[in-house]
Amino acid sequence: MDELKFRRQAYGEPNNQDPEFLQAAMESAEREAFLNDLKGLDNKIENALKIDVPDDLAAKLLLRQQLQHHHSQRRRTGFAFAMVASVAFLAGITFTLLRMGPVDLGQHALAHVYHEDKALHVDQNVQYQDVNFQLASLNSSSNMKFTQQPGKVFYSTYCDFQGVQSLHLVMQGESGKVTLFIVPLEDRMVLDEAFADNKYKGMGFETDNAYMLLVGEGAEDLNYVKNEIKQTFI
Amino acid sequence: MFDSWRNKKSSSTVSSDMVSKQRRYDSLVRALHTDIYRYAYWLCGDKHVAEDITQETFLRAWRSLDSLKDEKAAKAWLITILRRENARRFERKQFNYSDVEQEFIEDTFSGSTEDHAEQHLLQRQISKLELEYREPLLLQVIGGFSGEEIAKILDLNRNTVMTRLFRARNQLKDVLEQPTIRGQSNG
Repeated sequence: MDELKFRRQAYGEPNNQDPEFLQAAMESAEREAFLNDLKGLDNKIENALKIDVPDDLAAKLLLRQQLQHHHSQRRRTGFAFAMVASVAFLAGITFTLLRMGPVDLGQHALAHVYHEDKALHVDQNVQYQDVNFQLASLNSSSNMKFTQQPGKVFYSTYCDFQGVQSLHLVMQGESGKVTLFIVPLEDRMVLDEAFADNKYKGMGFETDNAYMLLVGEGAEDLNYVKNEIKQTFI
Repeated sequence: MFDSWRNKKSSSTVSSDMVSKQRRYDSLVRALHTDIYRYAYWLCGDKHVAEDITQETFLRAWRSLDSLKDEKAAKAWLITILRRENARRFERKQFNYSDVEQEFIEDTFSGSTEDHAEQHLLQRQISKLELEYREPLLLQVIGGFSGEEIAKILDLNRNTVMTRLFRARNQLKDVLEQPTIRGQSNG
């Protein structure tokens, strides 16, 4: 290794452990002294670079990271919460809108009769005043009522027609029982004049204040009750 | 959303991942914050700015800790982040700290007055070195990197690095060998 190369390497990296370089340093006492001189300089440089580090720097770095981490977690849960909230909101809107859709009263009435089968097997002998009381509390602005007892009423309760509070009565027809639904008028209802399935027959008509839906086993019963109602219901 | 849902399903592994990530970070901070802070200081010449840069560097390191595969490479990795962070500082403010005359170096050393004076002089000279000479020297002495590694970090070839190291030491050596002459000529 020539002198120039040796000196360049010594300046560049005095603590070089490359065997060739170490060998070259041993070649003369001058070189050794030269290298030791540079190593001495390097020690001084090293010490000069060792400025004081703030005592609490490590603690600060850890604290800052913990805070950051905490924040990002908060943000993440906040985001999840927002997502859940908007999904719930959307579900609510959808549900409300679905309930706003047109309602086929006839099919609904039949379904209701099947669903509340027990209504046809009880006899509470309800007075028309009680029925009027229930009618009055229906969610309707008009005053619906019976002027007198419309034949025997076996059963009377509130029921729900797609969100519209209605009245569910079971009355005595000519021979069998007839179920009567009184549904306050509402735009989205679709009324069938007659409907039926293989067990029940139904008919619907409109009074000034409400839809009347009759469901029974025979057409005579329906007509009988319809007449009763026309005479007694205003 | 599905991601977070999936994360919840494997929340136990996630939280244990978090714990081990936290441990890695803790040891990284404890082992390397001194070197990183000193490097930052000699890069920018200001205690407070150095602390800021160190903070930013470690914060960024935390965020992308997963990308650090080899712990042995941690120091070089942090220094790369630090250099980027330092460069970003210049993009933000058009104010070059290195251009400010480094008159002010903290007296933080004890020892004999002669040693002290010499060290003080050396510190002043190091801070006056051109950045292109200073930085390889910092990497070699503080970082303990080889010429090859320095070349990689600074994106230079090895010969350039060795030349710069040669010039850096040469300049410092000159100053130390003739401090009185310099003082006289100044006075």
